[in-house]
Amino acid sequence: MGTTNTVIELKGITKRYGYGDTESFALKNVDLTVRRGEFIMIMGPSGCGKTTLLNTIGLLDRATEGSYVLNGENVASISSRRQAKLRAKKIGFIFQDFNLIADLPIIENVALPLVYTGHSKTAQLKQASSALSRFHLQEREYYFPYQLSGGQQQRVAIARAIVSDPEIILADEPTGNLDSRSSHIVMEELKAIHEEGNTIIMVTHNPSLTTYATRVINMLDGQIDTDVKTVSDQNLPKPVEERKTTRRTRKKSGRKK
Amino acid sequence: MSVALVKTHFNLAKTAIKENRTRSFLTCLGIAIGVACIILILSLMGSISRLVSEQVKGIGADLIVVRPNTNKDTVSSVVAELTSSNAYQKSNLALSDVSTITGIENVVAAAPIAVATSTVKTEKNTLDSVTLLGTTPSFIDIQPLSLKDGSFINNTFESNTAVVGHTMSLLLFNTNNPIGKTLTIHGERFVVVGVLREVEESINFNNVDFDNAVILNASALANAVGGLQVQQINVKASNTDSLAEVSDKIKNALVEAKAGETNFGVYYGDEITHPASSLFTVVSGMLTTVAAVALVVGGIGVMNIMLVSVGERTHEIGIRKSVGASSQNILAQFMFEALILSILGGLFGLVLGYIFAFFVSIATPFAPYINIWILVITFCTSLAVGVIFGIYPALKAASKNPIESLKHYR
Repeated sequence: MGTTNTVIELKGITKRYGYGDTESFALKNVDLTVRRGEFIMIMGPSGCGKTTLLNTIGLLDRATEGSYVLNGENVASISSRRQAKLRAKKIGFIFQDFNLIADLPIIENVALPLVYTGHSKTAQLKQASSALSRFHLQEREYYFPYQLSGGQQQRVAIARAIVSDPEIILADEPTGNLDSRSSHIVMEELKAIHEEGNTIIMVTHNPSLTTYATRVINMLDGQIDTDVKTVSDQNLPKPVEERKTTRRTRKKSGRKK
Repeated sequence: MSVALVKTHFNLAKTAIKENRTRSFLTCLGIAIGVACIILILSLMGSISRLVSEQVKGIGADLIVVRPNTNKDTVSSVVAELTSSNAYQKSNLALSDVSTITGIENVVAAAPIAVATSTVKTEKNTLDSVTLLGTTPSFIDIQPLSLKDGSFINNTFESNTAVVGHTMSLLLFNTNNPIGKTLTIHGERFVVVGVLREVEESINFNNVDFDNAVILNASALANAVGGLQVQQINVKASNTDSLAEVSDKIKNALVEAKAGETNFGVYYGDEITHPASSLFTVVSGMLTTVAAVALVVGGIGVMNIMLVSVGERTHEIGIRKSVGASSQNILAQFMFEALILSILGGLFGLVLGYIFAFFVSIATPFAPYINIWILVITFCTSLAVGVIFGIYPALKAASKNPIESLKHYR
C-alpha cells in the first residue's frame, strides 16, 4: 500500500445544522490528513467545532458533506452497523468525564470494545487484564469505577481505548476533569502510547499540553485556523510492527468465530 | 450474533434484573397472573378430559355416542343457551332415531338421553328446575348405573315409573328410601321404583349429574312436559373391533332416516371425552378473558419498566455505542432483558397456576393436570408477551444517538 502512512483523510468536511435562516455550521469545509504516528492537539475556543470534528473522525457523527477516508476505506456514507464495527476495531475513545459504566467492574469496562468484536469471554478478560496491568491497575480489576480516583478512572478509560489495538485514539479533553498531578500522569501515559507508534488526536483547552504534540491545530468558527507541525513526518515514531504482529496473532488465537 | 455475545447479553440482563429486584418482581407478577389463569384453564380442561375418558373406559370400549352438532364450544352460544328459559332446546335428534339405531347389525342396545327441566311436586316438597332425564330401560344395559334399591325404569304403560338419584331422593322425599312414593310433573304422576347409589360424577360424557336427576321413560316425560329433544344417544356395540364400521352404519342409517340431514356426529373412543359441560365452557371463557386482560396489563407493565430502564441507562447506551456497539447489539441487549423478565413471569405463573388449581381441586372433583403442552404453551405465551411489549423499548434504546446519550446524566 502506497498510502500506508495516511490514516485519515478528510476532504471538504462540512457539518451543518438547520436550513435557511436557522442554518449554522459546526464544521465548514475542513480538510485534514493524519499520518500514522502523529499526536495531534486540536485547540480553539468553545463552540469552534473541535468536538464535532473529533466525533466525525470517531464515526459517532456524520458530516453533512465531504469525504472521509479511514485507513483506505471511504467511510463517509457507510451503514451505521459498519460504523459501529469500525468504532469497535479501529477507534479508541477517551472522554473528559471518563464515561465508564458504573455497574461494571473496571476489567469489564476495559473489555467493552472486545464484547462487540466477537471475542470469547476468556479472551476479553485476558486482554483487558493485560491492558490494565500496563497502567498499574491490575490489583484493582474488580473494583467499581466509583472506588477509584479520577486519575485512575481516566487510566481505566485509556486502557479501554487501547485494548482492541485501534488505528487511532481520540481524546476529548482527557485531563479536563483532573488535577495537575493526575493530568501529568495521564499525559505521560498518552505519550508512552504515542511513542509505541499509535496515532492520537486530542482536543484540549490547555496550551501547556501542546508540548506533548507533534502537530497543533487551532480551530476557529468551524474551520482550521492554523496547523503547525512541530515534528517532521520522518521523525514520527515508527509503529513497532513486530510487537503489533505478535499481538495480532495472539488476539486471533483467542478469538471465537 | 456470536455465542459470546449472547452470553454477554444474558448476563447483562441478569445483572440488570437483579439490581432492581423489587421492580422486576412486580413486573413479573403481572405476567404471572395472566399465565396462572391460562395454566388454571388448561389444567382443569385436561383434568376434565381425563375424568371423562376414565369413565368411558370404565363403561367399556364398546360405547358409541351420537350427538347433535351444536356449537357448545363458543362462549356466546353457551351463554345464550344458559340464559334461555329451557337450557336444552336445539337438538335435531329424535326418539325415533333410537329405534333406527337399534335395528342396525352389531348394535346391542341404544338409549336416548333427553333432558328437560321442570318443577317436580311430591307430598312434602315442590322443587323447581329439577333435571329430568328421559331415556329407555336399555339405558342401564349400556351404562351400568348402580341401584341402591328397587329396579330401573321399565316399559309398563299403566304406571309411569321413575328412578331418582341419591341427592334428589333426599331433596324430594326427605328420605333415601322413596320407593313406592309418587311425584308429579305437570300433573302427570310417576311412581318411584328405584334409587341410585351415590355416583359423585357430576362431570361425565352424558352431561347429566345422576345424583341430582330423576330418570323417567322418555315417552312418558315427553307426554308430561309436551315435547322433548334428544341430546345424545348412547349405543353399545357387540364388539370393540367393529366400532368404526358400526358408527359408519349408524351415520348412514340416520342420514337416510332424516332425509339427508347430517347435522349430528357419531363418536367413539377418545372422541367422546370432549368436555361437554356448558358451565365449564362459560367458566373457562371467563378465565380466558381474565387471562388475556392480565397478560396485556402485564405486558404493559413490562413495557413500562423497560422504558424506565432504557431511560435510566441512556448514558450506558451512549458509552456502549461509542466503543463499538451497533444499534442491533443494543436492541438485543434490551430484548433479552424484556424476554427474561417475561419468561421469569411465565415460570412464576406456572407455579402460581398450579397452586390455584390445587385449591380448586380441593373443592371440586378436578385434579390438577400437567403435560408437556401446557409447559410449551406457557413458555410461548410469555415469550410472545416479551417480544410484543419489549420491542418498542428496545427499538427506542437502539435508536438513541450516541453523542446525545453520552451527554445524558445519570
